[in-house]
Amino acid sequence: MTASVIMDPKPTVLHPSDTVRTATHYIMHHRYRNLPVVDDNGCYIGVFGVHCLMRLMLPPAVVMKEGLTTIPFIRETLPDLHRRLIEVEDSPISQCINEVVTVVAPDTPLLETLLVLYKTRTSVPVVEKASGRLVGMISYWDVTRKILATEV
Amino acid sequence: MDPVWFAGVLFVMTYVVIMTDRLNRAIVSLMAAGLMIAAGLLNQEAALQGIDFNTIGLLTGMMIIVAITKKSGIFQYLAIWSAKKVDARPWGILVMLAVVTAVLSALLPNVTTVLMIAPVTLLITDALKVNPYPYLFAQIFAANIGGTATLIGDPPNIMIGSAAGLSFNDFVLNLAPLVVVVFAATLLPIYLIWGRTLKSTPEHRQRVLDYRESDAITDKRLLWQSLSVLVVVITGFTLADVLNVEVATVAMFGASLLLLLDNLPRSPGEQNKVVEQTFAEIEWQTIFFFIGLFILVYGLGTTGLMEDVAHDLLELTGGNAKVTAISLLWASAVASAFVDNIPYVATMIPLIKNMSASLGGPQALVPIWWSLSLGACLGGNGTLVGSSSNLIIASFAERTGHPIRFLPFLLMAFPLMVLSLLISTVYIYLRYL
Repeated sequence: MTASVIMDPKPTVLHPSDTVRTATHYIMHHRYRNLPVVDDNGCYIGVFGVHCLMRLMLPPAVVMKEGLTTIPFIRETLPDLHRRLIEVEDSPISQCINEVVTVVAPDTPLLETLLVLYKTRTSVPVVEKASGRLVGMISYWDVTRKILATEV
Repeated sequence: MDPVWFAGVLFVMTYVVIMTDRLNRAIVSLMAAGLMIAAGLLNQEAALQGIDFNTIGLLTGMMIIVAITKKSGIFQYLAIWSAKKVDARPWGILVMLAVVTAVLSALLPNVTTVLMIAPVTLLITDALKVNPYPYLFAQIFAANIGGTATLIGDPPNIMIGSAAGLSFNDFVLNLAPLVVVVFAATLLPIYLIWGRTLKSTPEHRQRVLDYRESDAITDKRLLWQSLSVLVVVITGFTLADVLNVEVATVAMFGASLLLLLDNLPRSPGEQNKVVEQTFAEIEWQTIFFFIGLFILVYGLGTTGLMEDVAHDLLELTGGNAKVTAISLLWASAVASAFVDNIPYVATMIPLIKNMSASLGGPQALVPIWWSLSLGACLGGNGTLVGSSSNLIIASFAERTGHPIRFLPFLLMAFPLMVLSLLISTVYIYLRYL
């Protein structure tokens, strides 16, 4: 058995030109942790998820490489954070796509897929090696649901 | 192959490879040192004699002290406190952050200083909604100028002080007054170019004023321990001559003391982890780069090549101390603007020592040592690749979408470096020649 057995073959996808507002709507409405981002040909680019939203709400000096590791001296309020998000709402999600995400291929063995899922702690994109096309997504729930539904 | 030729070719090749940036500089210098020994120019014992352990010890000790001190949050505290002191006015903040950077750079490694101050600067400029470029530009200058002021401010000064027997106090008394003038003179053009255009709204300034600097201190106990040890170390530096101890001894003692204080309340298992983390923060690449370089230059010195080159250089300046000092100041600055000032200074030290007899003894070399220090340190401002701290600030600028490009920086920075050299020339001439 391989990853293709347990994946969702028709996942919700985003495009780089989609706005942060659109992505936020999907993420919050469906409680997605990560959504795959694909180009016009369906080729996988990366993921955009709740982590990206958190990043957009924090000052750049904190989330950048070698940035500040703690900021206990800033006392911002919920409206301040919402204001930050509003400032970037109409920007394309391309500014914050996470491209460093482990992916699996459709023919990745089942147990290896489970290990990747366990290590990455989030949904895993399934990408065809040759074409680079996204063919599905695998979440904890998909896997667990299918395992439980299988007769022993 | 003739040993002089071999050493000369190896030396030039090493510099060329370092300048190309294709290979890690620590690997290059260690490989060159290894080849010196393999070729029989030095044996292992002689190679170890060539290493200036005073420089190595001082660098390592200060790196350990900074690695522990920075955990307390003191650097963020200073940056925020200084920004609030000027009522969060954009130009005032630029000046204050530059002052903080300069003062810290005089007492701590420049690279560490900018790694601590640049992120806070970006946080503040983001809150003020102002362009961070002028702030980062000023900090590049502040770090290099501030580092010139003391023996421990910049690696070239550590090397010069150790080789020439110049103390911490000698550097402070001879270079610090000039550094204050150069720093003030550098801020003036920055004000004329950018200062008047830096504007922020009261609302944005209030965001900065709302920062609670006291909350930046994450470990009060560690803060007091670190500050106490820093006071002990700086006092030790100033009294090193009286106490007849080397500055490396003072720095390593301070590092050991702070390690002890930081780890005393921890369990043995925790201590192992914390000490390992602290040692991991030492810039080992720099330390090994120095070690390789010292062996290479020492090996070169044993061939007699340095004496010949020193003689030729003196012929160029007519054996005149004034001409030699001023020429060296300018040549060192231009060289340091484009190549790493550490290998440059490592090479110049034995050359200058070889000029001693011709110029009238060690005392006659004093203005020449100051010229070398000023040229090597201030030259770092000339280009974006002039010093490591420049490149670190540039990488921060890149991450915020306000990149500092080589040519625009050169066009602004080189004239400012020339200004600092003109002031230094007048100072050297009036005070020493």
